[in-house]
Amino acid sequence: MQSVQHMVRTGRRGPMHEFSMAFADLRASFDRIGLAWSLAKHDVVSRYRGSILGPFWITLSMGLMVAGIGFLYANLFKVPVNEFIPYVALGIVFWGMIANVIIEGCSTFVQAAGILSQSSLPMFTFVWRTVMRNVINLLHHLIIIVGVLLYYDHWRQTDVLMGALGVLLLLVNISWISLAAGIASARFRDIPQIVGSVVQFAMFMTPVFWLPGGRLLDHAVLLLNPFYHLLEVVRAPLLGQPVDARTYLVLGAMAVLGWAGTFTTFALIRRRIVHYL
Amino acid sequence: MKGPEVSIRVSDLTLRFPVYGVDSKSLKKHLARITVGGKLGRTGMGAPEVTALSGINLELHSGDRLGLIGHNGSGKTTLLRALAGAYEPDEGTIDVHGQIAAMLDLNLGIDPSATGLDNIRLRGRIAGLSAKEIEERMQEIADFTGLGPFLAMPLKTYSAGMQARLAFAVATAVHADVILMDEWIAVGDADFQKLAHKRILELMERAGILVLASHDLELIRLYCNKVMRIEGGVASPVMDVKKLDELLAAA
Repeated sequence: MQSVQHMVRTGRRGPMHEFSMAFADLRASFDRIGLAWSLAKHDVVSRYRGSILGPFWITLSMGLMVAGIGFLYANLFKVPVNEFIPYVALGIVFWGMIANVIIEGCSTFVQAAGILSQSSLPMFTFVWRTVMRNVINLLHHLIIIVGVLLYYDHWRQTDVLMGALGVLLLLVNISWISLAAGIASARFRDIPQIVGSVVQFAMFMTPVFWLPGGRLLDHAVLLLNPFYHLLEVVRAPLLGQPVDARTYLVLGAMAVLGWAGTFTTFALIRRRIVHYL
Repeated sequence: MKGPEVSIRVSDLTLRFPVYGVDSKSLKKHLARITVGGKLGRTGMGAPEVTALSGINLELHSGDRLGLIGHNGSGKTTLLRALAGAYEPDEGTIDVHGQIAAMLDLNLGIDPSATGLDNIRLRGRIAGLSAKEIEERMQEIADFTGLGPFLAMPLKTYSAGMQARLAFAVATAVHADVILMDEWIAVGDADFQKLAHKRILELMERAGILVLASHDLELIRLYCNKVMRIEGGVASPVMDVKKLDELLAAA
Protein backbone atom coordinates (compact mmCIF):
# COMPACT_ATOMS: atom_id res chain seq x y z
CA MET A 1 0.00 0.00 0.00
CA GLN A 2 0.99 3.57 -0.52
CA SER A 3 2.04 5.43 2.53
CA VAL A 4 0.21 8.58 3.43
CA GLN A 5 1.24 11.20 0.99
CA HIS A 6 2.19 14.64 1.97
CA MET A 7 1.90 17.67 -0.23
CA VAL A 8 3.08 21.11 0.72
CA ARG A 9 2.66 24.13 -1.49
CA THR A 10 3.90 27.52 -0.43
CA GLY A 11 4.43 30.99 -1.77
CA ARG A 12 7.83 31.98 -3.09
CA ARG A 13 10.59 31.55 -0.55
CA GLY A 14 13.61 32.59 -2.52
CA PRO A 15 15.42 30.95 -5.41
CA MET A 16 16.85 28.05 -3.39
CA HIS A 17 13.35 26.91 -2.55
CA GLU A 18 12.28 27.23 -6.16
CA PHE A 19 15.19 25.03 -7.20
CA SER A 20 14.41 22.39 -4.63
CA MET A 21 10.78 22.34 -5.77
CA ALA A 22 11.93 21.97 -9.38
CA PHE A 23 14.16 19.07 -8.37
CA ALA A 24 11.27 17.54 -6.48
CA ASP A 25 9.24 17.77 -9.68
CA LEU A 26 12.01 16.07 -11.62
CA ARG A 27 12.38 13.34 -9.02
CA ALA A 28 8.64 12.73 -8.90
CA SER A 29 8.59 12.37 -12.68
CA PHE A 30 11.21 9.63 -12.44
CA ASP A 31 9.33 7.94 -9.61
CA ARG A 32 6.33 7.73 -11.89
CA ILE A 33 8.18 7.24 -15.15
CA GLY A 34 5.72 4.48 -16.02
CA LEU A 35 3.00 7.10 -16.34
CA ALA A 36 4.99 9.01 -18.96
CA TRP A 37 5.51 5.75 -20.80
CA SER A 38 1.80 4.89 -20.68
CA LEU A 39 0.87 8.30 -22.01
CA ALA A 40 3.46 8.08 -24.77
CA LYS A 41 2.27 4.62 -25.75
CA HIS A 42 -1.28 5.83 -25.77
CA ASP A 43 -0.31 8.72 -28.07
CA VAL A 44 1.29 6.41 -30.58
CA VAL A 45 -1.51 3.86 -30.53
CA SER A 46 -4.24 6.46 -30.82
CA ARG A 47 -2.59 8.12 -33.80
CA TYR A 48 -2.91 4.94 -35.81
CA ARG A 49 -6.20 3.73 -34.40
CA GLY A 50 -8.49 2.36 -37.06
CA SER A 51 -5.76 1.90 -39.65
CA ILE A 52 -5.06 -1.65 -40.76
CA LEU A 53 -1.31 -1.60 -40.24
CA GLY A 54 -1.50 0.41 -37.04
CA PRO A 55 1.82 1.69 -35.71
CA PHE A 56 3.62 -0.19 -38.47
CA TRP A 57 2.75 2.74 -40.66
CA ILE A 58 5.63 4.38 -38.85
CA THR A 59 7.96 1.74 -40.22
CA LEU A 60 6.38 1.58 -43.64
CA SER A 61 6.25 5.30 -44.38
CA MET A 62 9.82 5.73 -43.22
CA GLY A 63 10.88 2.77 -45.36
CA LEU A 64 9.26 4.29 -48.43
CA MET A 65 10.95 7.61 -47.76
CA VAL A 66 14.36 6.02 -47.31
CA ALA A 67 14.02 3.92 -50.46
CA GLY A 68 12.70 6.84 -52.50
CA ILE A 69 15.28 9.39 -51.50
CA GLY A 70 18.04 6.80 -51.39
CA PHE A 71 17.64 5.58 -54.97
CA LEU A 72 16.76 8.99 -56.37
CA TYR A 73 19.74 10.84 -54.92
CA ALA A 74 22.14 7.97 -55.45
CA ASN A 75 21.31 8.12 -59.17
CA LEU A 76 21.20 11.89 -59.42
CA PHE A 77 24.52 12.41 -57.70
CA LYS A 78 26.13 9.24 -59.04
CA VAL A 79 27.06 7.81 -55.67
CA PRO A 80 27.09 4.06 -55.03
CA VAL A 81 23.74 2.87 -53.72
CA ASN A 82 25.23 0.52 -51.16
CA GLU A 83 27.08 3.44 -49.57
CA PHE A 84 24.36 5.99 -49.90
CA ILE A 85 21.27 4.13 -48.70
CA PRO A 86 22.61 3.24 -45.23
CA TYR A 87 23.81 6.84 -44.92
CA VAL A 88 20.44 8.28 -45.88
CA ALA A 89 18.48 5.77 -43.82
CA LEU A 90 20.31 6.71 -40.64
CA GLY A 91 20.19 10.38 -41.58
CA ILE A 92 16.44 10.50 -42.11
CA VAL A 93 15.56 8.34 -39.13
CA PHE A 94 17.61 10.28 -36.62
CA TRP A 95 16.87 13.64 -38.16
CA GLY A 96 13.20 12.77 -37.84
CA MET A 97 13.74 12.06 -34.16
CA ILE A 98 15.61 15.33 -33.56
CA ALA A 99 13.05 17.40 -35.45
CA ASN A 100 9.99 15.75 -33.90
CA VAL A 101 11.18 15.92 -30.32
CA ILE A 102 11.86 19.63 -30.73
CA ILE A 103 8.73 20.48 -32.69
CA GLU A 104 6.43 18.36 -30.52
CA GLY A 105 8.14 19.88 -27.50
CA CYS A 106 6.29 23.08 -28.34
CA SER A 107 3.00 21.46 -27.42
CA THR A 108 4.24 19.52 -24.39
CA PHE A 109 2.64 21.80 -21.83
CA VAL A 110 -0.07 23.35 -23.97
CA GLN A 111 -1.49 19.92 -24.69
CA ALA A 112 -1.34 18.91 -21.04
CA ALA A 113 -3.19 22.04 -19.91
CA GLY A 114 -6.24 20.10 -18.75
CA ILE A 115 -4.29 17.69 -16.61
CA LEU A 116 -1.83 20.23 -15.27
CA SER A 117 -4.54 22.60 -14.11
CA GLN A 118 -6.19 20.05 -11.86
CA SER A 119 -3.61 17.68 -10.52
CA SER A 120 -0.23 17.72 -8.92
CA LEU A 121 1.40 15.56 -11.57
CA PRO A 122 5.02 16.51 -12.18
CA MET A 123 5.51 18.76 -15.19
CA PHE A 124 8.52 16.74 -16.28
CA THR A 125 6.22 13.78 -16.83
CA PHE A 126 4.96 15.53 -19.95
CA VAL A 127 8.46 16.30 -21.18
CA TRP A 128 9.29 12.61 -20.95
CA ARG A 129 6.01 11.81 -22.64
CA THR A 130 7.10 13.79 -25.69
CA VAL A 131 10.57 12.25 -25.70
CA MET A 132 9.29 8.71 -25.15
CA ARG A 133 6.71 9.01 -27.88
CA ASN A 134 9.58 9.56 -30.26
CA VAL A 135 11.64 6.80 -28.74
CA ILE A 136 8.74 4.46 -29.54
CA ASN A 137 8.79 5.73 -33.11
CA LEU A 138 12.53 5.16 -33.19
CA LEU A 139 12.03 1.57 -32.11
CA HIS A 140 9.76 1.08 -35.10
CA HIS A 141 12.41 2.60 -37.34
CA LEU A 142 15.05 0.32 -35.94
CA ILE A 143 13.75 -2.41 -38.23
CA ILE A 144 14.70 -0.32 -41.25
CA ILE A 145 18.12 0.54 -39.88
CA VAL A 146 18.96 -3.05 -39.04
CA GLY A 147 17.58 -4.21 -42.37
CA VAL A 148 19.55 -1.69 -44.38
CA LEU A 149 22.79 -2.32 -42.49
CA LEU A 150 22.40 -6.05 -43.00
CA TYR A 151 21.36 -5.88 -46.62
CA TYR A 152 24.18 -3.56 -47.67
CA ASP A 153 26.62 -5.50 -45.57
CA HIS A 154 27.54 -2.66 -43.25
CA TRP A 155 26.81 -4.44 -40.02
CA ARG A 156 30.36 -5.76 -39.65
CA GLN A 157 31.72 -2.22 -39.23
CA THR A 158 28.89 -1.06 -36.97
CA ASP A 159 30.05 0.06 -33.57
CA VAL A 160 26.93 -0.60 -31.53
CA LEU A 161 28.40 0.57 -28.25
CA MET A 162 29.49 3.96 -29.55
CA GLY A 163 26.22 4.18 -31.43
CA ALA A 164 24.30 3.67 -28.19
CA LEU A 165 26.41 6.30 -26.48
CA GLY A 166 25.59 8.57 -29.40
CA VAL A 167 21.85 7.98 -29.00
CA LEU A 168 22.18 8.77 -25.31
CA LEU A 169 24.00 12.03 -26.00
CA LEU A 170 21.40 12.85 -28.62
CA LEU A 171 18.50 12.22 -26.21
CA VAL A 172 20.07 14.22 -23.39
CA ASN A 173 20.48 17.18 -25.69
CA ILE A 174 17.17 17.13 -27.51
CA SER A 175 15.33 16.69 -24.21
CA TRP A 176 16.43 20.07 -22.94
CA ILE A 177 15.75 21.71 -26.28
CA SER A 178 12.30 20.15 -26.18
CA LEU A 179 11.70 21.42 -22.65
CA ALA A 180 12.91 24.90 -23.61
CA ALA A 181 10.57 24.89 -26.61
CA GLY A 182 7.73 23.76 -24.36
CA ILE A 183 8.22 26.54 -21.82
CA ALA A 184 8.67 29.22 -24.47
CA SER A 185 5.65 28.05 -26.47
CA ALA A 186 3.44 28.01 -23.41
CA ARG A 187 4.26 31.65 -22.79
CA PHE A 188 4.44 32.95 -26.36
CA ARG A 189 2.19 31.39 -28.93
CA ASP A 190 4.41 32.56 -31.79
CA ILE A 191 7.22 30.24 -30.76
CA PRO A 192 5.92 27.01 -32.38
CA GLN A 193 5.87 28.74 -35.79
CA ILE A 194 9.40 30.03 -35.28
CA VAL A 195 10.66 26.65 -34.10
CA GLY A 196 9.00 25.00 -37.09
CA SER A 197 10.75 27.23 -39.60
CA VAL A 198 14.11 27.02 -37.86
CA VAL A 199 14.00 23.22 -37.76
CA GLN A 200 12.95 23.09 -41.40
CA PHE A 201 15.83 25.28 -42.45
CA ALA A 202 18.22 23.32 -40.25
CA MET A 203 17.32 20.20 -42.20
CA PHE A 204 18.78 21.73 -45.35
CA MET A 205 21.80 23.07 -43.53
CA THR A 206 22.58 19.70 -42.00
CA PRO A 207 23.87 16.79 -44.09
CA VAL A 208 20.80 14.64 -43.64
CA PHE A 209 20.69 13.46 -47.22
CA TRP A 210 23.67 15.07 -48.79
CA LEU A 211 27.23 13.92 -48.35
CA PRO A 212 29.65 16.53 -47.13
CA GLY A 213 32.92 16.04 -48.95
CA GLY A 214 36.07 17.89 -49.93
CA ARG A 215 36.29 21.47 -48.74
CA LEU A 216 32.91 21.19 -47.02
CA LEU A 217 34.22 18.79 -44.38
CA ASP A 218 35.66 21.45 -42.13
CA HIS A 219 33.26 24.13 -43.14
CA ALA A 220 31.75 26.33 -40.43
CA VAL A 221 28.27 25.35 -41.59
CA LEU A 222 29.03 21.90 -40.25
CA LEU A 223 31.27 22.64 -37.30
CA LEU A 224 29.07 25.36 -35.87
CA ASN A 225 25.89 23.50 -36.57
CA PRO A 226 24.73 21.66 -33.43
CA PHE A 227 22.39 19.50 -35.50
CA TYR A 228 25.35 18.20 -37.50
CA HIS A 229 27.02 17.01 -34.30
CA LEU A 230 23.77 15.54 -32.99
CA LEU A 231 23.35 13.53 -36.15
CA GLU A 232 26.99 12.61 -36.61
CA VAL A 233 27.42 11.24 -33.10
CA VAL A 234 24.89 8.53 -33.92
CA ARG A 235 25.36 8.02 -37.63
CA ALA A 236 29.13 7.77 -37.83
CA PRO A 237 29.60 4.88 -35.37
CA LEU A 238 26.68 2.99 -36.84
CA LEU A 239 28.33 3.26 -40.25
CA GLY A 240 31.62 2.23 -38.73
CA GLN A 241 33.25 5.62 -39.11
CA PRO A 242 35.20 7.42 -36.39
CA VAL A 243 33.55 10.33 -34.62
CA ASP A 244 35.48 13.56 -34.44
CA ALA A 245 36.49 14.35 -30.85
CA ARG A 246 35.15 17.86 -31.40
CA THR A 247 31.68 16.39 -31.77
CA TYR A 248 31.79 14.86 -28.30
CA LEU A 249 33.16 18.09 -26.93
CA VAL A 250 30.40 20.16 -28.50
CA LEU A 251 27.63 17.80 -27.42
CA GLY A 252 28.97 17.43 -23.89
CA ALA A 253 29.20 21.18 -23.45
CA MET A 254 25.80 21.65 -25.03
CA ALA A 255 24.21 19.13 -22.69
CA VAL A 256 25.67 20.71 -19.57
CA LEU A 257 25.06 24.33 -20.50
CA GLY A 258 21.71 23.62 -22.07
CA TRP A 259 20.34 21.71 -19.11
CA ALA A 260 21.74 24.24 -16.64
CA GLY A 261 20.12 27.13 -18.46
CA THR A 262 16.82 25.45 -19.20
CA PHE A 263 16.47 23.94 -15.76
CA THR A 264 17.18 27.30 -14.13
CA THR A 265 14.50 28.91 -16.26
CA PHE A 266 12.13 26.09 -15.43
CA ALA A 267 12.83 26.40 -11.71
CA LEU A 268 12.23 30.14 -11.70
CA ILE A 269 8.98 30.18 -13.65
CA ARG A 270 7.65 26.69 -12.88
CA ARG A 271 4.75 27.98 -10.80
CA ARG A 272 3.74 30.34 -13.58
CA ILE A 273 3.63 27.79 -16.38
CA VAL A 274 0.19 26.48 -15.47
CA HIS A 275 -1.16 30.02 -15.73
CA TYR A 276 0.32 30.48 -19.19
CA LEU A 277 -1.77 27.67 -20.56
CA MET B 1 -5.84 2.25 8.18
CA LYS B 2 -4.31 5.66 8.01
CA GLY B 3 -7.22 7.65 9.34
CA PRO B 4 -5.93 9.98 11.99
CA GLU B 5 -3.16 11.47 9.92
CA VAL B 6 -5.30 12.74 7.09
CA SER B 7 -5.57 16.49 7.17
CA ILE B 8 -5.73 19.67 5.16
CA ARG B 9 -4.20 22.85 6.48
CA VAL B 10 -4.40 26.05 4.54
CA SER B 11 -3.06 29.24 5.98
CA ASP B 12 -3.26 32.73 4.52
CA LEU B 13 -3.63 31.36 1.03
CA THR B 14 -3.58 34.03 -1.63
CA LEU B 15 -3.71 33.17 -5.29
CA ARG B 16 -3.37 35.63 -8.11
CA PHE B 17 -3.81 34.79 -11.74
CA PRO B 18 -1.71 36.63 -14.21
CA VAL B 19 -3.88 36.99 -17.29
CA TYR B 20 -1.67 36.55 -20.30
CA GLY B 21 -4.27 36.04 -22.97
CA VAL B 22 -5.37 39.65 -23.07
CA ASP B 23 -2.45 41.53 -24.47
CA SER B 24 0.89 40.01 -23.76
CA LYS B 25 0.83 36.47 -25.03
CA SER B 26 2.13 37.50 -28.41
CA LEU B 27 5.84 37.74 -28.77
CA LYS B 28 5.45 40.75 -31.05
CA LYS B 29 3.95 42.86 -28.29
CA HIS B 30 6.61 41.65 -25.92
CA LEU B 31 9.35 42.57 -28.35
CA ALA B 32 7.70 45.86 -29.23
CA ARG B 33 7.84 46.72 -25.58
CA ILE B 34 11.58 46.19 -25.54
CA THR B 35 12.31 47.97 -28.80
CA VAL B 36 10.43 51.11 -27.90
CA GLY B 37 12.37 51.36 -24.70
CA GLY B 38 9.57 50.25 -22.50
CA LYS B 39 7.40 53.31 -23.06
CA LEU B 40 4.64 51.37 -24.69
CA GLY B 41 4.45 48.96 -21.80
CA ARG B 42 4.82 51.48 -19.00
CA THR B 43 1.18 51.25 -18.20
CA GLY B 44 1.11 47.49 -18.24
CA MET B 45 4.46 45.97 -17.43
CA GLY B 46 3.83 42.38 -16.58
CA ALA B 47 0.49 40.76 -17.11
CA PRO B 48 -2.64 42.12 -15.47
CA GLU B 49 -3.49 40.09 -12.41
CA VAL B 50 -6.73 38.84 -10.99
CA THR B 51 -6.82 37.97 -7.33
CA ALA B 52 -8.74 34.73 -7.23
CA LEU B 53 -8.34 33.88 -3.56
CA SER B 54 -7.15 36.03 -0.75
CA GLY B 55 -6.25 35.16 2.79
CA ILE B 56 -7.96 31.78 2.98
CA ASN B 57 -7.54 29.86 6.21
CA LEU B 58 -8.85 26.36 6.51
CA GLU B 59 -8.21 23.36 8.66
CA LEU B 60 -9.85 20.01 8.03
CA HIS B 61 -9.34 16.64 9.64
CA SER B 62 -10.38 13.09 9.08
CA GLY B 63 -14.15 12.85 8.87
CA ASP B 64 -14.72 16.42 7.75
CA ARG B 65 -16.92 16.93 4.75
CA LEU B 66 -16.77 20.50 3.65
CA GLY B 67 -19.25 22.08 1.29
CA LEU B 68 -18.10 25.12 -0.65
CA ILE B 69 -20.74 27.55 -1.75
CA GLY B 70 -20.57 30.84 -3.58
CA HIS B 71 -21.51 32.51 -6.84
CA ASN B 72 -19.96 31.68 -10.16
CA GLY B 73 -16.43 32.99 -10.26
CA SER B 74 -16.19 33.31 -6.51
CA GLY B 75 -13.15 31.03 -6.33
CA LYS B 76 -14.59 27.64 -5.38
CA THR B 77 -12.99 25.72 -8.23
CA THR B 78 -9.76 27.66 -7.86
CA LEU B 79 -9.57 26.61 -4.24
CA LEU B 80 -10.17 22.99 -5.22
CA ARG B 81 -7.43 23.19 -7.83
CA ALA B 82 -5.05 24.71 -5.34
CA LEU B 83 -5.86 21.90 -2.91
CA ALA B 84 -5.22 19.40 -5.70
CA GLY B 85 -1.74 20.86 -6.06
CA ALA B 86 -2.19 22.31 -9.52
CA TYR B 87 -1.90 25.96 -8.56
CA GLU B 88 0.96 27.19 -6.45
CA PRO B 89 0.05 29.78 -3.84
CA ASP B 90 1.39 33.30 -4.23
CA GLU B 91 1.30 33.68 -0.49
CA GLY B 92 0.63 31.32 2.37
CA THR B 93 0.81 27.55 2.51
CA ILE B 94 -1.25 24.54 1.61
CA ASP B 95 -0.40 21.38 3.49
CA VAL B 96 -2.25 18.19 2.65
CA HIS B 97 -1.61 14.83 4.27
CA GLY B 98 -3.09 11.92 2.39
CA GLN B 99 -3.67 10.64 -1.11
CA ILE B 100 -5.66 13.19 -3.06
CA ALA B 101 -8.29 12.34 -5.63
CA ALA B 102 -9.51 15.36 -7.54
CA MET B 103 -12.70 14.97 -9.53
CA LEU B 104 -12.89 18.37 -11.05
CA ASP B 105 -13.24 17.85 -14.74
CA LEU B 106 -15.05 15.05 -16.51
CA ASN B 107 -12.80 15.28 -19.50
CA LEU B 108 -9.52 14.86 -17.68
CA GLY B 109 -7.34 12.59 -19.75
CA ILE B 110 -10.23 11.46 -21.88
CA ASP B 111 -9.55 10.43 -25.43
CA PRO B 112 -12.83 10.49 -27.38
CA SER B 113 -11.72 8.06 -30.06
CA ALA B 114 -10.41 5.43 -27.65
CA THR B 115 -12.73 2.79 -26.23
CA GLY B 116 -14.26 3.00 -22.80
CA LEU B 117 -11.87 0.36 -21.51
CA ASP B 118 -8.84 2.22 -22.83
CA ASN B 119 -10.11 5.39 -21.26
CA ILE B 120 -10.47 3.64 -17.94
CA ARG B 121 -6.83 2.60 -18.22
CA LEU B 122 -5.70 6.06 -19.23
CA ARG B 123 -7.63 7.87 -16.53
CA GLY B 124 -6.62 5.30 -13.97
CA ARG B 125 -2.96 5.88 -14.78
CA ILE B 126 -3.37 9.61 -14.48
CA ALA B 127 -5.25 9.22 -11.22
CA GLY B 128 -2.27 7.37 -9.82
CA LEU B 129 -3.08 3.69 -10.22
CA SER B 130 -0.42 1.36 -11.56
CA ALA B 131 -1.13 -0.66 -14.68
CA LYS B 132 -1.42 -3.77 -12.51
CA GLU B 133 -3.84 -2.18 -10.07
CA ILE B 134 -6.03 -1.10 -12.95
CA GLU B 135 -6.25 -4.60 -14.39
CA GLU B 136 -7.05 -5.94 -10.93
CA ARG B 137 -9.88 -3.47 -10.47
CA MET B 138 -11.03 -3.42 -14.05
CA GLN B 139 -13.95 -5.75 -13.45
CA GLU B 140 -15.09 -3.75 -10.45
CA ILE B 141 -14.80 -0.47 -12.32
CA ALA B 142 -16.51 -1.88 -15.41
CA ASP B 143 -19.38 -3.21 -13.31
CA PHE B 144 -19.80 0.05 -11.54
CA THR B 145 -20.11 2.02 -14.76
CA GLY B 146 -23.03 -0.19 -15.74
CA LEU B 147 -22.09 0.41 -19.37
CA GLY B 148 -21.64 -3.27 -20.19
CA PRO B 149 -20.87 -3.86 -23.90
CA PHE B 150 -20.56 -0.13 -24.51
CA LEU B 151 -17.17 -0.19 -22.82
CA ALA B 152 -15.77 -1.70 -26.01
CA MET B 153 -17.10 1.26 -28.02
CA PRO B 154 -15.24 4.51 -28.60
CA LEU B 155 -16.00 7.13 -26.02
CA LYS B 156 -17.30 9.56 -28.63
CA THR B 157 -20.41 7.42 -28.95
CA TYR B 158 -21.27 8.02 -25.28
CA SER B 159 -23.78 10.49 -23.96
CA ALA B 160 -22.73 12.99 -21.32
CA GLY B 161 -24.31 10.85 -18.63
CA MET B 162 -22.46 7.76 -19.79
CA GLN B 163 -19.18 9.67 -19.77
CA ALA B 164 -19.93 10.81 -16.27
CA ARG B 165 -20.48 7.23 -15.17
CA LEU B 166 -17.14 6.20 -16.58
CA ALA B 167 -15.26 9.13 -15.15
CA PHE B 168 -16.84 8.73 -11.77
CA ALA B 169 -16.18 5.02 -11.64
CA VAL B 170 -12.49 5.47 -12.34
CA ALA B 171 -12.05 8.46 -10.10
CA THR B 172 -13.61 6.70 -7.14
CA ALA B 173 -11.62 3.52 -7.74
CA VAL B 174 -8.59 5.27 -6.30
CA HIS B 175 -8.17 4.63 -2.61
CA ALA B 176 -8.04 8.25 -1.74
CA ASP B 177 -7.97 9.95 1.62
CA VAL B 178 -8.91 13.35 0.35
CA ILE B 179 -11.61 13.76 -2.25
CA LEU B 180 -12.04 17.04 -4.05
CA MET B 181 -15.19 17.27 -6.06
CA ASP B 182 -16.67 19.87 -8.29
CA GLU B 183 -20.34 19.84 -8.92
CA TRP B 184 -20.53 17.50 -11.91
CA ILE B 185 -21.71 14.60 -9.83
CA ALA B 186 -25.26 15.69 -10.63
CA VAL B 187 -25.01 14.59 -14.27
CA GLY B 188 -26.12 10.95 -14.30
CA ASP B 189 -29.64 9.56 -14.21
CA ALA B 190 -31.49 8.54 -11.07
CA ASP B 191 -30.01 5.05 -11.04
CA PHE B 192 -26.56 6.42 -11.28
CA GLN B 193 -27.22 9.03 -8.64
CA LYS B 194 -28.13 6.25 -6.26
CA LEU B 195 -24.97 4.31 -7.05
CA ALA B 196 -22.84 7.41 -6.80
CA HIS B 197 -24.43 8.21 -3.47
CA LYS B 198 -23.53 4.77 -2.16
CA ARG B 199 -20.02 5.03 -3.50
CA ILE B 200 -19.43 8.38 -1.87
CA LEU B 201 -20.69 7.11 1.46
CA GLU B 202 -18.32 4.13 1.16
CA LEU B 203 -15.49 6.42 0.32
CA MET B 204 -16.34 8.62 3.23
CA GLU B 205 -16.19 5.67 5.56
CA ARG B 206 -12.72 4.67 4.58
CA ALA B 207 -11.31 8.00 3.53
CA GLY B 208 -10.82 11.14 5.42
CA ILE B 209 -11.95 14.33 3.87
CA LEU B 210 -14.38 15.46 1.25
CA VAL B 211 -14.42 18.94 -0.20
CA LEU B 212 -17.40 19.50 -2.46
CA ALA B 213 -18.13 22.67 -4.38
CA SER B 214 -21.74 23.04 -5.37
CA HIS B 215 -24.61 25.42 -5.95
CA ASP B 216 -27.00 22.71 -4.95
CA LEU B 217 -27.76 23.28 -1.29
CA GLU B 218 -29.55 19.95 -1.01
CA LEU B 219 -26.42 18.17 -2.17
CA ILE B 220 -24.38 20.05 0.40
CA ARG B 221 -26.84 19.15 3.16
CA LEU B 222 -26.73 15.55 2.05
CA TYR B 223 -22.99 15.00 2.01
CA CYS B 224 -21.38 17.68 4.12
CA ASN B 225 -21.11 18.38 7.79
CA LYS B 226 -19.33 21.67 7.39
CA VAL B 227 -19.78 24.54 5.05
CA MET B 228 -17.78 27.52 3.88
CA ARG B 229 -18.88 30.38 1.70
CA ILE B 230 -16.52 32.06 -0.73
CA GLU B 231 -17.34 35.46 -2.15
CA GLY B 232 -14.92 37.29 -4.42
CA GLY B 233 -12.04 35.13 -3.26
CA VAL B 234 -12.67 35.81 0.41
CA ALA B 235 -13.86 32.96 2.56
CA SER B 236 -16.23 32.90 5.49
CA PRO B 237 -15.22 30.91 8.54
CA VAL B 238 -15.96 27.19 8.36
CA MET B 239 -19.37 26.56 9.92
CA ASP B 240 -21.50 23.65 10.83
CA VAL B 241 -23.82 22.69 8.01
CA LYS B 242 -26.81 23.29 10.29
CA LYS B 243 -25.99 26.95 10.11
CA LEU B 244 -26.19 26.96 6.32
CA ASP B 245 -29.27 29.17 6.37
CA GLU B 246 -27.57 31.68 8.64
CA LEU B 247 -24.63 31.74 6.31
CA LEU B 248 -26.87 32.38 3.34
CA ALA B 249 -28.80 35.04 5.14
CA ALA B 250 -25.63 36.82 6.16
CA ALA B 251 -24.75 37.58 2.56
